[in-house]
Amino acid sequence: MYGWMWRHLPGPLVVRLFTAIALLIVIVAVLLFVVFPWLEPKLPFNDVSV
Amino acid sequence: MGSRQRQRTSALVVIVRTFGELMITFGVVVLLFVVYTLYVTDIVAAKKQDGVNDELERSWAAPVAQQPAQQDKKPKRPAKPEQGAGFARIYIPHFGKDFQFVIVEGVGSAELEIGPGHYPDTALPGQPGNVGIAGHRIGKGAPFNDLDKLNSCDAIVLETETDFFVYRVMPMPDEVANWESVKQRDPRCARVPSLRKAGQPEGGPYGRTVGRRIVTPDRGDAVAPVPYRPENPLPKAQQASLVTLTTCHPEYGNSERMIVHGALVNQVPKQQAGSYEALLGLIGEPV
Repeated sequence: MYGWMWRHLPGPLVVRLFTAIALLIVIVAVLLFVVFPWLEPKLPFNDVSV
Repeated sequence: MGSRQRQRTSALVVIVRTFGELMITFGVVVLLFVVYTLYVTDIVAAKKQDGVNDELERSWAAPVAQQPAQQDKKPKRPAKPEQGAGFARIYIPHFGKDFQFVIVEGVGSAELEIGPGHYPDTALPGQPGNVGIAGHRIGKGAPFNDLDKLNSCDAIVLETETDFFVYRVMPMPDEVANWESVKQRDPRCARVPSLRKAGQPEGGPYGRTVGRRIVTPDRGDAVAPVPYRPENPLPKAQQASLVTLTTCHPEYGNSERMIVHGALVNQVPKQQAGSYEALLGLIGEPV
């Protein structure tokens, strides 16, 4: 999967490397600021009130 | 990889490799979620807490009487704080001199992300009855992370616009029976009552109110005016002034709640105390 993605990134090595890092950052940001804030209240870890 | 080699890679290898990569990815995402819960939510919550702190300071600094037309009607702030707005501060000296949070009104997830939340319809600081406050134990600032480390007689200070209200943690279950002798060990305990009445069935109306309890999540009556007595056996004038802190238990679970009860022992006007640091000296806490 990752090998396939790497082969389909355009440009020379340096450009590919930067594209890959940028993609990674975007994915982490979407997880941290969109997916996790939505998911966290649905999980039974942190109910504090009675 | 050369193109001829790639053709030789069988479908099975591709499937197994992709499955493995997905599994590893899933593991990394779960780890990232842990980092999010424990650290990222702290950062977000700290920003929100700073926001309400600024608002609270502004509102306390503003002159109270802003409606000159209604001089005869007491120009008071609304008796009930607005949902989501900060209206008081909580200090727990045992957790460090710099432990302080603005308490906001409401115990929904949006409010608790800002700071400890006040159960609506419970007493306000200093009033007879029970000031109910919920707070996170993990992440989101984790104001109540260390509630399990509180001992009897530790101070819980609530600051309002005009006063510091000093509550102290009530006797722990194993101390209740001979509290009068146990409390001698510490001068800070002098005014901490055991509200249990020895002669009465179940220790009287406050027989179940001790320093710390673990209860099931359905015990909404932990923040009742008389804790664990939803039928409210006492008229308001006879109710003790209590504070009740609630958080999740066990630390990373939600099967139970940890409850800490404190009783009001002191009211110090802010004009008299000056600052929180000065108050600590007045009430015999290490400064």
